[in-house]
Amino acid sequence: MAAVTAGLDRPHAAPVLGARAALAGTLRSELTKLRSVRSTYWTMTLLVLAGLAWAVANCAGEAAHWTAADRVGADPTQASIVGLALLGQLVIVVLGALALTSEYSTGMIRTSLIVMPRRGVLYGAKAAVLIAVIGVIAVVTSFAAFFTGQYLLRSTHVTATLTQPGVLRAVVATALYIVLSGLFAFGLGAILRSTAGAMTTAYGLLFLVPQLAKALPSAWYAEVERWLPGGDVVNAITGTQAGNPYPNLFSAWGEFAVFGAYTGVLLIIGALLFGRRDA
Amino acid sequence: MIEARGLTKRYGSTLAVDDLSFTVRPGIVTGFLGPNGAGKTTSMRLILGLDAPTAGTVTIGGRPHRHAASPMREVGALLDARAVHGGRSAYNHLLCLAQTNGIPRRRVGEVLEIVGLAGVAGKRSKGFSLGMSQRLGIAAALLGDPAVLMFDEPVNGLDPEGILWIRTLMRSLAAQGRVVFVSSHLMSEMENTADHVIVIGRGRLIADSGMAEFIARNSSQTVLVQTPQPDALVRALVAAGGTVSPSGDQNLEVRGLTVDQVGDIAFAHDIRIYHLAAARISLEQAFMELTANSVDYRAAQPAGPEHGKEA
Repeated sequence: MAAVTAGLDRPHAAPVLGARAALAGTLRSELTKLRSVRSTYWTMTLLVLAGLAWAVANCAGEAAHWTAADRVGADPTQASIVGLALLGQLVIVVLGALALTSEYSTGMIRTSLIVMPRRGVLYGAKAAVLIAVIGVIAVVTSFAAFFTGQYLLRSTHVTATLTQPGVLRAVVATALYIVLSGLFAFGLGAILRSTAGAMTTAYGLLFLVPQLAKALPSAWYAEVERWLPGGDVVNAITGTQAGNPYPNLFSAWGEFAVFGAYTGVLLIIGALLFGRRDA
Repeated sequence: MIEARGLTKRYGSTLAVDDLSFTVRPGIVTGFLGPNGAGKTTSMRLILGLDAPTAGTVTIGGRPHRHAASPMREVGALLDARAVHGGRSAYNHLLCLAQTNGIPRRRVGEVLEIVGLAGVAGKRSKGFSLGMSQRLGIAAALLGDPAVLMFDEPVNGLDPEGILWIRTLMRSLAAQGRVVFVSSHLMSEMENTADHVIVIGRGRLIADSGMAEFIARNSSQTVLVQTPQPDALVRALVAAGGTVSPSGDQNLEVRGLTVDQVGDIAFAHDIRIYHLAAARISLEQAFMELTANSVDYRAAQPAGPEHGKEA
């Protein structure tokens, strides 16, 4: 080929790409893709607003009506960040699913794969950029929700600080839970290649299945609950109470690991299918 | 250079591409022809590594595209102009493609100038006309200054000005020494653009030759003759080895015989003739006949008279 095209003058020919350059370039490309469409800004704004609005509503509204007894068992950390975990996963599922499915629905995936046929690089870069972008926003929002909540709770004299046991863990884990939710939907998107399909399945698994499981005989439910994503897991992750308020569940990090494992499985299946399937 | 060897793709029970072998060379425009559903797009997807072949191999510059050292330096392709995220501006669309291959930002501005979209670079492509979308797709294909360019039905839906622009562009890209591989279902479109044609039908190779050779071989001479006694003339011509098909009232189209022969035969049989002339069948007609047996979807036609029967 070199001999045939020797006479061809191509001053703008793209550079030869090593593995590192291909990954670096594709990461930049995916960041450009994410920041150049409106849906990213909508979902991120919604994530921040949902997290903060819940913190304000919960801490300023409900806490004002706490009785003395309520205050004893109160978990001010959870009161400020549980909303972010609950609503945030709902919102971030959209962004996670769209990362791949929007390319399938528009046909952009074919252009993406022609310019970067190393499918593992494209898939990895997409997931990595998603982790980074959601991570930054989620961490900032989680801390913002926590501090906002504690400020609003100051009149109750039941407030938390980051140095108390379990508090920093809860705030960070909440942000990471949002990241995992996004990846969970991303993996589903890679498998199903349809925005509606991925979102419906994600909502079904995160919200519907935990509810349906409650219909099981209680002894079974007690055994099963800790293995389900969503549901009370959100309470376990955002809670800081000592002892074991959720006897059916693993610890906060334990539940985090369960959800992480499900997400990992979806990501791996998604990667295998993405590498193999016709685009 | 694009090289396909025994390329085969099966979707379920459908054999979309069937044992295709061909080479597309640099410096010329190669037309890829076939009726709709012949397997042109599938072949292009196989070349670009979007689909994996069921059997056979295809390489660009000696490698399967999935293993290209520098994908955008090897090939630029326009498969479907509408396959972009409409919410992204033209500039950002090209930028995110350029970044994957480490192509500098200024190149985005250059290709936007080349295709004449610099003025709408910041506009979301959702509002683009089909012609503008085609130009954006071509800008994307040109980003990496590639050795191979592939266009799938690039003139579909374009106005005459757009068609001329693309035709000129393809010719100049080939003149620079690049491989230019362009598909079409219209022979007339390729007649003026391509130097070489690869014709497929139902996934199989039908022809692979230079355009001049293809025209010479396929646009055979015919003789048009008008007579009040078509019956008798058909019998006489068929007996002399000609192939006759009626074409309208009292008119016959004769192949396999020259004008002189037809005149002599008519004279010898005392058949009156009102009109006798030589004609060339168009390349489009030759192409239609060549691929007639391989058209998947054809409109039902009213039953017409058979060869040699009375008109």
